Order: sequence, then structure tokens, then C-alpha cells
Amino acid sequence: MNRFVEQLAANDVAELGMPGSLLAGPTAAMAGPTGHGLSFELAAGNNPAEFAQHFIDAKSEKDSLIKIAHGTTTLAFKFREGVMVATDSRATSGNVIASQTVKKVIEINPYLLGTMAGGAADCSFWERVLGMECRLHELRNKKRISVAAASKLLANLVYRYKGMGLSMGTMVAGWDEKGPGLYYVDSDGQRLANDIFSVGSGSTFAYGVLDSHYRYDMDIEEARDVARRAIYHATHRDAYSGGVVRMYLVQRDGWVPYPLEDVGDLYYQYHPEVQLTNRTESPLTVVPA
Amino acid sequence: MDRYSFSLTTFAPNGKLLQIEHALAAAANGVVIATEKKTGSSLIEVSSLQHMVKVCDSIGMVYSGMGPDFRVLVNSARKMAQKYRRIYMEDPPVRILVKELASLMQEYTQSGGVRPFGVSLLLAGFDDRGANLYQVDPSGSYFPWKATSIGKNMVNAKTFLEKRFNGEMELEDAVHTAILTLKEGFEGQMTEQSIDVGIIGTLPNAQDGGPTPVFQCLSPADIRDYLSNIA
Amino acid sequence: MSIMQYNGSAIVAMAGKGCVAIAADKRLGQRALTVDTEFQKVFPITDRTYIGLPGLATDVKTLYDRFRMRVNLYKHNEERTIEPKTFSHLVSHMLYERRFGPYFVEPVVAGLDKNDEPYICGMDLIGCINFAKDFIVGGTASDNLYGMCESLWEPELGPEDLFETISQALLNAVDRDALSGWGAVVHIITPEGVITRDLKGRMD
Repeated sequence: MNRFVEQLAANDVAELGMPGSLLAGPTAAMAGPTGHGLSFELAAGNNPAEFAQHFIDAKSEKDSLIKIAHGTTTLAFKFREGVMVATDSRATSGNVIASQTVKKVIEINPYLLGTMAGGAADCSFWERVLGMECRLHELRNKKRISVAAASKLLANLVYRYKGMGLSMGTMVAGWDEKGPGLYYVDSDGQRLANDIFSVGSGSTFAYGVLDSHYRYDMDIEEARDVARRAIYHATHRDAYSGGVVRMYLVQRDGWVPYPLEDVGDLYYQYHPEVQLTNRTESPLTVVPA
Repeated sequence: MDRYSFSLTTFAPNGKLLQIEHALAAAANGVVIATEKKTGSSLIEVSSLQHMVKVCDSIGMVYSGMGPDFRVLVNSARKMAQKYRRIYMEDPPVRILVKELASLMQEYTQSGGVRPFGVSLLLAGFDDRGANLYQVDPSGSYFPWKATSIGKNMVNAKTFLEKRFNGEMELEDAVHTAILTLKEGFEGQMTEQSIDVGIIGTLPNAQDGGPTPVFQCLSPADIRDYLSNIA
Repeated sequence: MSIMQYNGSAIVAMAGKGCVAIAADKRLGQRALTVDTEFQKVFPITDRTYIGLPGLATDVKTLYDRFRMRVNLYKHNEERTIEPKTFSHLVSHMLYERRFGPYFVEPVVAGLDKNDEPYICGMDLIGCINFAKDFIVGGTASDNLYGMCESLWEPELGPEDLFETISQALLNAVDRDALSGWGAVVHIITPEGVITRDLKGRMD
């Protein structure tokens, strides 16, 4: 990272070679004079990274121009039939709910999914770059990239920007020659493999449900139920998670999405005893004072 | 002197002090208080004597007994009224002020190093419940009245009021009744200089035209008009 | 994050024709974590005066107890029930007593006075009273509530219409606020009595 900063400090504008420039072979040809065409302008001065920190609030601690929303619940788990991926759909800016219909599952390609937690822009940008790299891998090697390789690509990608204020906690889920694959990658450069992951401010609640109900040999309906309940409980307890449950199942033939389920309705499905109405269908009854 | 000689009747209202006649009458829409401004000497500048004071906009007060003790109670009463106003942004109901003032007077009958107040008070005011008048004694006991009198000729004055008073009286009639009551036991010529008359009536307020209680002492000119009507 | 946002809340009061309404959400949180979804934030002071206390939950409970004590003393001393306006000044006075170490609440008072006229007012945390003829809002969703009330409120609403208006204003405001919601309660105060209803809201 310091090497990176030192390298950039000399120039007002830095052009960063994208992963392609690290790889030998065909990508080099595509790189051209500016790598893959990706370049980030940096502030003039001795330490552009430090300057940038003034405007970026990566940990939701200060009142900066660039606010990175951290409220999210995402989860994914491997089971007998494949990998189940589920997320909420809320985006917040401070306490304001900016959207209830965010897509936090990123369709990298028909066999790979990424999830979004932390900076929405960081996640979607770098996972698109990842998508590009995965496609290049296919073209170069005439076969699909493994989930392990794809996730490592992403981890290496973000590691080069460590300390610059990137914020992402993502799960890469997919299916390759070895079967179902599931990895956790974050902006610190950490990369983990496991059967169950949950990421985001609501993850602790989701883990609670997953840990008590998860079994590897669940069928698809059971897996959906566990994923749905885990997201639902997270949205119930976590102020920064909510909206709809968005669910994907990854199998041998790639991923399929499930219909969206509104969390607002799920509460009253899970609690049928709660009988309330907002309409004045009958004359208001007065309780005498 | 017996160290326990501070009895409640030491000073007022039936003690051996300079006593002044007061009459009060509550009308349907207000209260009237009238008092004789008796002095020990004809040399005293009568116009500077003040027996009747305003406690707050809606409450007025007169006394019988020791003038200096009265001044202390006036200060306390005004402070109580302002303290209430500071909290609730409205004048205290008459009964609340009376109760608090009576508590203070009671405290002085029980505390060490002090003597009881040597005055009986008459408070007149207007609040949510309408026109009120109260008597407070040095013991701390207090009584609401429709009409009453304290001072040296109080027995006769009360008898007079019992005959003349009725609850339907208008404020004007009440002023007449009060002056007539005072006249019952009056020594010498009654003039605008020798009596004080205070009335509590209502004025429409600026915000919503609702009734705002106002206490005011009548000017000598006004009193002269009333006296000429009686004569 | 301000201490005023620690627990999360949304309270709104509206004046109608011969009636007033006050409504509140039910969430009790600790920052992002939702702890309780049945937390009371609106309290009866008399048969026809209610107070809503958005802000720090510990102060909500303490203040309500202190208000109750003062109002009971008032009732016994003065042998009358306190008017909403008088009560508001009492609240304001009690808050300013803590000028240099305030309670973290922004009270909202709604009631009918002795002439059955609607009375609503709001206050900041040190007791500056804000009188209004239309509506008063408070809590973490107050910006949203201002928007909803400005567009939905109209003069001379009867009890039924006022109920619908305040309910929609509150529900839609909290649906855009992360820290409030999780159910709501509405009180409509009329000369005949008080109507209290729980609202069905999103629980996320």
C-alpha cells in the first residue's frame, strides 16, 4: 500500500494497471497504454490516501461527504443441493431509509454470485471487474474459472487498495468442477472458505437462526425456509436491514432466483395471532373517559 | 413576661390595636372590598396611606391589625403569586394563594424565635370559579365568605350585610352595599379621603376577548361619585 | 450519533375539528438493535390531555413519573384537573429547571381544553414551547413526519378523518426512518372520550 502511495505521490493522476497487468499473456495486449482503461484520479500532495480519508466515512463514524452505508444482512450456505444465497434489500443513508428494493446479490456470471455489504459502489464496481476477469479467464483457458480462483482474484484486487478506504464484505458463491463453492472476501484482503457465512450489521441475528436450524442434508424447501427466517429475523432486529428477502439457489446448471418476499408481510405470516387493521371499517368506538 | 405569652389573640382581630373597619361583598360578576382609612392623628398625610394592595392582576388584599406585619405578608403573597405564574403562566386561583399564605401564617405560630403575625387578612379575587373572598386569621385558619367584615365594628357590620346581601347583586350594587356597611359604624364624616374601595371585575382580554380578572382601587373621584349617590 | 437518536422514536400530534390526535411508534432500540416493539411513548395526563415523549427512553420513563407526580399534586391542591395549556407550561418549566443537564426528550402535548377546543404544542429538550394550530412532530422521524403532515393535514378534520390522516402520516414517515416504527398506536381525543387504536405497520 505504501509502495502504491509513493508511486502515485509523484503524479497528480495515477493510472492503475488492473489485474490484467499482473498477468502475462493475452491481457497485456488489451491493456494498451492505460491498462484496462481503469484509472483513478488522486489528489495532488504527498499523501493522497490521507487526503481522501477526510471525505470518506468508511466505518460510519463521522459526518463525511462520502458516506458508506453498512446496514445490510446477507447470508449464504452450502447444503446438499447447492448453495443458498439470501439478502435483505434496504439501503440507508444515516437514519434515512434510502431504498427498500436494493439488489444486494450481484450476478457475476450465470455460475457465480457475489453479495453486497459495505460500500455499494465498491461492491458493484469490483465485482464487475471480477466478472470481466472471469470472462477473460474463460476465453484464455476455454473453461470456467473455479469459485476459489474467482474469489482469490477479487481478494487480490481489493488488497492493492488496502488503506485507501474501500469498504466491502462480500461472499462469492458458485458452482465449479469441484461442486458448490463459497468464499468470504473483504476489503481488508481477508478470504475465507466455509459452509456458512453471513455478512453485515444484521449478520449476528442471521447466524443465530442459521446455527440453530442449519443442517447440511436439508432439501431445497427446508433450506429456503431457513434462509428466509434468518433474513427475516435479522430485518426484525436490525434497524439497518429490511425490505424484501432476495434469494438465489446455485446448482450444477448455475444460479436461479426466487420470487421476492416482502418482510412486511412475513411478520404477519409468522405471527398469525396479531390481528390489526389500519382501516376504519367500522365506526370508531369511544372509550368513555 | 411569661415566655409562652404569644397567644393567637395577642394582636388581632379583637386585641387592643388600632382597628380598622372593613367590609367585603362578593357580587355575581366581581368582588368589592371597602376600608376605612382611620388614623391616630389628623396630622397624618392620609393620601399616602395604603391599606389595600394588589397581589396580582386578579387578587387584592386588605388587613386589620399591624401595618408592618401586613407589609411582610404582602411581600410574601406577591412572591407566591409570581412563583405560581412562573410555573403555570397564569395567576394562582384565590384559594391556592390563600392556602399558601395561611400556611405561612400557621408556621409562625409554631416556629421558634418568631411571633405570629398580628393581622387578619381579607383577600378578594377572581378565578375559574368566579368571584372569591377569603378571610385569613393569624392562627392560619381561613374562611371563604359571600360577604363579611372584620375590624372593630364587625359584629354590627355582619348583621347589616346579612340583611342587605344577595348573591344576584351586580358589581355597582355591591359597591353601594359595601359603602353603606362601612357607614354603619363610621365615626365622623365619610369622604373620598377617608375610605378606600377596591373592586375585582373582569375585562375582555386582548387575545380572544375572554374575561380577564382585574383588581383596581377606585380613584378618589370615583369614590366621590358613589358617595354622592348614597347621600 | 446523538443521544437523541439512541433509542429511536416518532411522535406526531394533530388538531382536528373539536378533536385532537396523538400517535407514536412502538420501537425501543439501542442504536441499530431493536430491543422492544411494545414500548410506550405516549401517556395520559388527564382524561383529555396526553403527552408524547420522543427521545432517550430512560428519560421518557423518569419524566413521565415526575409529570404524574406533579399533576397528582396539582389535582389534590387545586381540586381541578390541569388544562393542557397549563400542563405544557409546567412541563416547560420542569425541563428548563435542567437547563444545564437536560432530559433528552422533545415533548409533544395534545389535549382538549375546558371549552373542548383542541390544543397541541411541542417543546425542545430545555422547554422552549412551540405552539401550533395544525400539527406537531418529534423524534428521529421528525423530518419525514413534517413532510407527511405538510401534505396530508387539512383543517377541520373530524375524528374519523383525523385518525386516517395521522395514521398514514406516521406509518409512511417511519417506513423511511431506520430507527422508528415496528408498530404504532394512535389516540383520538374527543369530548366524548378517547379512542385508542394499534396500527399494523412494517416490523423491519
